[in-house]
Amino acid sequence: MNSLDFSIVVQAWPYLWLGLVFSLALTAAAFLIGMILGTLFALVQHFEVPVAGRLVRAYIALIRSIPLILVLFWFFFLVPIVLGHLSGTGRPVPIGANWTAFITFGLFEAAYYSEIIRVGLRAVNRGQFEACQALALSTFHTYRCVILPQVLRVASPIILSQTIILFQDTSLVYVLSLTDLLGAASKLAQLNGRLVEMYVVVALVYLGISSAASQWVASLRKRYAMAGTRR
Amino acid sequence: MLQQTAVNVPSRSSAIVAVEKLVKRFGQFTALNDVNLTVAAGEKIVLCGPSGSGKSTLIRCINHIERHDSGRIVVTGVELTDRMTDINSVRREVGMVFQSFNLFPHLSIVENCMLAPIKVRGLSRKEARERAMGVLRRVRIHDQADKYPGQLSGGQQQRVAIARALCMQPKVMLFDEPTSALDPEMVKEVLDTMMGLARDGMTMICVTHEMGFAREVADRVVFMDRGTIVEEADPETFFRAPRTERAKGFLQQIIH
Repeated sequence: MNSLDFSIVVQAWPYLWLGLVFSLALTAAAFLIGMILGTLFALVQHFEVPVAGRLVRAYIALIRSIPLILVLFWFFFLVPIVLGHLSGTGRPVPIGANWTAFITFGLFEAAYYSEIIRVGLRAVNRGQFEACQALALSTFHTYRCVILPQVLRVASPIILSQTIILFQDTSLVYVLSLTDLLGAASKLAQLNGRLVEMYVVVALVYLGISSAASQWVASLRKRYAMAGTRR
Repeated sequence: MLQQTAVNVPSRSSAIVAVEKLVKRFGQFTALNDVNLTVAAGEKIVLCGPSGSGKSTLIRCINHIERHDSGRIVVTGVELTDRMTDINSVRREVGMVFQSFNLFPHLSIVENCMLAPIKVRGLSRKEARERAMGVLRRVRIHDQADKYPGQLSGGQQQRVAIARALCMQPKVMLFDEPTSALDPEMVKEVLDTMMGLARDGMTMICVTHEMGFAREVADRVVFMDRGTIVEEADPETFFRAPRTERAKGFLQQIIH
């Protein structure tokens, strides 16, 4: 094998950049959808809402037991057929690879975030709920202003870990013929034969972004520290 | 108002809290059994008794944090029932201070005091902040307003908890063993704050074992044991000549 030549990466950078932007966009969208839905799912279970609570629990159990790659496949092939049936024409309604990726990742991550938040909700001291009751805060304000902010602070390291996994999992979109950072690198590597260089650089990019995210969350935690909280 | 010395059961009309034939069970255990208590506006009541006697449960029933099984509780003219849709209309008027402070750890001291006035009373942020700073000054902790609860000592945290309740301008204040979780050297600052409140004419129901406080502030001492009120008297009488054996035994144990 020839000696390493990283100059190839410089030429490849514009294409890699597109892949990276896609990965980041998909991560951000899945994070937002996942956190909003996940919080709702967690609250539905927390309040033991009669039917919805069971449905949500079943949904989470199902999603968590299936590999993401399989969910992507299903969504890509089955949803158009279902939509076709619903629309009455019987002809599949394609929703496209991009929509499939964003919706599937969001729904998939919701199950994981929901579990994190559900556990966080149980960890909040009962005295916090009683203090809210004593101050006549409505249930909405109790959760919006007191309980959930504490849950997010306590759970932020686990939420971050899950989000880093999500970021890395975006590479699975290759099954939908979409190109993320890793996908871009591997396509180029097959063209120019510089496998080692491409994968080393991609690994460094993943490492850089993940550790930057960790640092950022750590600094957030410090800034919003519930300094020396005694419970 | 403060001149009453003998046991003085106020008339129903001036009562701010009226409890009648209250029963509360936890499973098989009867925590409160046929409790009757009437508190007039401006009155200061000290509830005492051995642990498990039901005193905390009683004041937790008064703002409906615990739901009672039978009997009547009327607070500021509104009866508490299971079916009531707006319990918060009562809770707005009742302040509560807990043994474990229960401050909101993610909010600064002044924000702790601003939250409920903004969300419940509809004050603007500016009004709420002014009110909060005024009350924090009153409990002499305004110089810590921008710190977080975890950075304060226990005594300071409890004074903030008192301030937080006062910012709602309640008609009654409930204290659930406010000094029990404190280091001994911090008890006094909290009791001083409570005494100041008493001097200003606040209606107070305090569960406490601080008999010095009871002697100085209470209009009535209510002694509970095993879920019932055993004895009720002005502090002078109660401490000098308790009528029941149970109260005598209790006093011997806490006054060394």
